Amino acid sequence: MAELHLTVLDPAGLHARPAAQVVRTAGRFLSRITINVGDRTADVKSLIALLGLTIRPGAEITLAADGPDDDAALAALLTELGAAVQPSQSDAEQT
Amino acid sequence: MVGLVLISHSSSIADGLRDMVLQVAGSDVIVATAGGTDDGRLGTSAPRIAAAIRSTLEGGPDGTLILLDLGSAALSLELALEEFDADERARLRVSEAPLVEGAVLAAVQASVGATLDEVAEAAAGAASMQKMPTD
Repeated sequence: MAELHLTVLDPAGLHARPAAQVVRTAGRFLSRITINVGDRTADVKSLIALLGLTIRPGAEITLAADGPDDDAALAALLTELGAAVQPSQSDAEQT
Repeated sequence: MVGLVLISHSSSIADGLRDMVLQVAGSDVIVATAGGTDDGRLGTSAPRIAAAIRSTLEGGPDGTLILLDLGSAALSLELALEEFDADERARLRVSEAPLVEGAVLAAVQASVGATLDEVAEAAAGAASMQKMPTD
């Protein structure tokens, strides 16, 4: 199990195109990957679930991966998100 | 990879949606269009639909999800489907989803290697997708 705590910087939030890229990246990994914002959690491999969260600029999100390739999955997602996010104050932590 | 067929009365809609889908889901997604009539008018054409379906089925064994706009598109599609045998029909699924949203959601799911059932399910979710955020 690995987690990343991030703040969304993109002024448009996590909108359709980057969200689709995130889903496609997540789809390459075996691990179950979820995204949490506030009290809501969605499967990162489902675009409709991800768009349903309406992630706004400034939102604090947690990406969590659980499975044989969880660390690699989060690293790939962080690369994919690029400048759209930054690590939150609490820093990325791995358990 | 599961392919998509986009059927619209307007070739501009079908082709424009294809552009949008390829940009969101990646240019390797299999998308064929059947927009307008043979002579370039607004409408749908069973032969054009059949040709589009045929091209996606030839692209691989994983099947094809068909999305359409409204009205007589369904009638033309029914006619087009008659050209396919039972084995081919088993690899085809017709989506009830709204065309634009359904196509985008389906294409993203197809691009990650999802099955025809999973791609169809993703498209079906488009019907209940909210346009404007609630919070």
